[in-house]
Amino acid sequence: MLIRLENVHTFYDGEKNSTLKDITLSIAAGEMVCVMGPNGAGKSTLLETINGMLPSTGRVEVFGRDVRRHGPEIRKDIGYMLQAKTFPEDTPYLVKDVVLMGRFGKIGMLRRPGMEDWNAASEAARFMEVDHLWERPIGKLSGGQTQRVLLARLLAKRPRILLLDEPYSNLDCRSVEDVSKKICILHKRNELTTIMVIHDTAHVPDICERILLLKDGRLIGDAHPDEMLSSRTFRDAFAEA
Amino acid sequence: MMLPPSIVMNTIIGASLAAVVCSMIGVFIVRMNLSSMGFCMSHAAFAGAALGLAISRDPFALALGMATAVALILGPVADKARLQADVVLGTMFSLTMALALLFLSIAPGSVVSSTALSVLWGSVLGITTADLIRLLVLMLTLLLVISLFYKEFFAIMLDRKLAEESGINTKPFYYAILFLCGVSVSVSLKLIGGLLIFALMVNPVSAAYQFSHDMRWIMLISPLIGLASSISGIAASLYLDIPVGSSIAIMSVAIFLISVALSPKRRHGQKC
Repeated sequence: MLIRLENVHTFYDGEKNSTLKDITLSIAAGEMVCVMGPNGAGKSTLLETINGMLPSTGRVEVFGRDVRRHGPEIRKDIGYMLQAKTFPEDTPYLVKDVVLMGRFGKIGMLRRPGMEDWNAASEAARFMEVDHLWERPIGKLSGGQTQRVLLARLLAKRPRILLLDEPYSNLDCRSVEDVSKKICILHKRNELTTIMVIHDTAHVPDICERILLLKDGRLIGDAHPDEMLSSRTFRDAFAEA
Repeated sequence: MMLPPSIVMNTIIGASLAAVVCSMIGVFIVRMNLSSMGFCMSHAAFAGAALGLAISRDPFALALGMATAVALILGPVADKARLQADVVLGTMFSLTMALALLFLSIAPGSVVSSTALSVLWGSVLGITTADLIRLLVLMLTLLLVISLFYKEFFAIMLDRKLAEESGINTKPFYYAILFLCGVSVSVSLKLIGGLLIFALMVNPVSAAYQFSHDMRWIMLISPLIGLASSISGIAASLYLDIPVGSSIAIMSVAIFLISVALSPKRRHGQKC
């Protein structure tokens, strides 16, 4: 298994009660998994836990290694997109800086970005169709453009795992369709393992193999989309929310 | 008042080095909202100087030691207590101020108090060759550290969480930034004093922000603007016979205001 969580409890700063409660799950290489659940269910927390960015108890392994011990090393191969990330208007960074930054962990310390890194960054920008914004300040972009730039940043990393937290937020209907297609193409072409938090059932990609259903920090369902979306558990989870 | 050429030369070199150091570190302070760092460090140094006077030791050495110690513990304390660095700085500020007053009360005498206060006001004309060497070493160290770990600092200044996500272990770099800020403040203190050091850290960077959206450019021109503030400040001080520290601070404010007026960003109707 590429990702394995066993009896995981995740805690936020200063909170006694865990946000994620006793999560046990495994995700194999090449799977595409969607994470759904009402607001506050712990969907983003699950992604951050897998990415080793939050304190947790239990076992969290990615690539067979403990994320709490080898976090920075493991994150070099994980593309994690934060939820609805925006930048203030006066942020003095250009789009090319933000995309290239995806490579920084891979480049390693005491080394400068080389031709290979710039090529990976510009290829990712072209794929996400933000190459025309290359020299623009990041704070001057629209929400949708920023979202595409952040996706390009992930791709520049050439990750093995994609963790996408609501990748369609800030996007208009046409862009949702377009970005969704691109994520599916990448997932297949690069043989990625993709875990994606989504709100709208209409955004579940055709190639999605599993939906994880979270509620109040607990994993209450794990099934194929056809089975999950028609299940009573799924309806009840949202009805009571 | 005519000053001996050697003092004028030392003042020019010292002020120039301090301006470059403060503006280089000011880029981090402005970008990472650590503006209370200047106040906190200067008061830590004030407390150190007061302690030195209370126990009859070199006040400037203890000022440097105290400010460096605060800089060293700031990052780990903020992380351990899960507080924003700015909150810890605020708390440290009041603690060091209280300690300074306490130490001064132990070491009575107006001369003693004025020596401690000189840490806050600075005394650029009293700068020695040893001070110049300290500033030069600090500037070269900063240049070396920033150029060696440029991409890590560059990423952390955009967003610490994004940098972490990139695979950068941000903690040591974040602590290094806080530590270098503290050391820069404490080493530059003697020159223009803790209260005016803030001007050289914030104003040149804020002026540079008016002309560019590119962080590389801001990092490059901020020290140059700091240098211009310093040299023009000394010139104005000599010409008008006013205190050097105040003159440098006033020039840095003037350059910032001129930058705001000339900013191409504002001409395009943007907020900066």
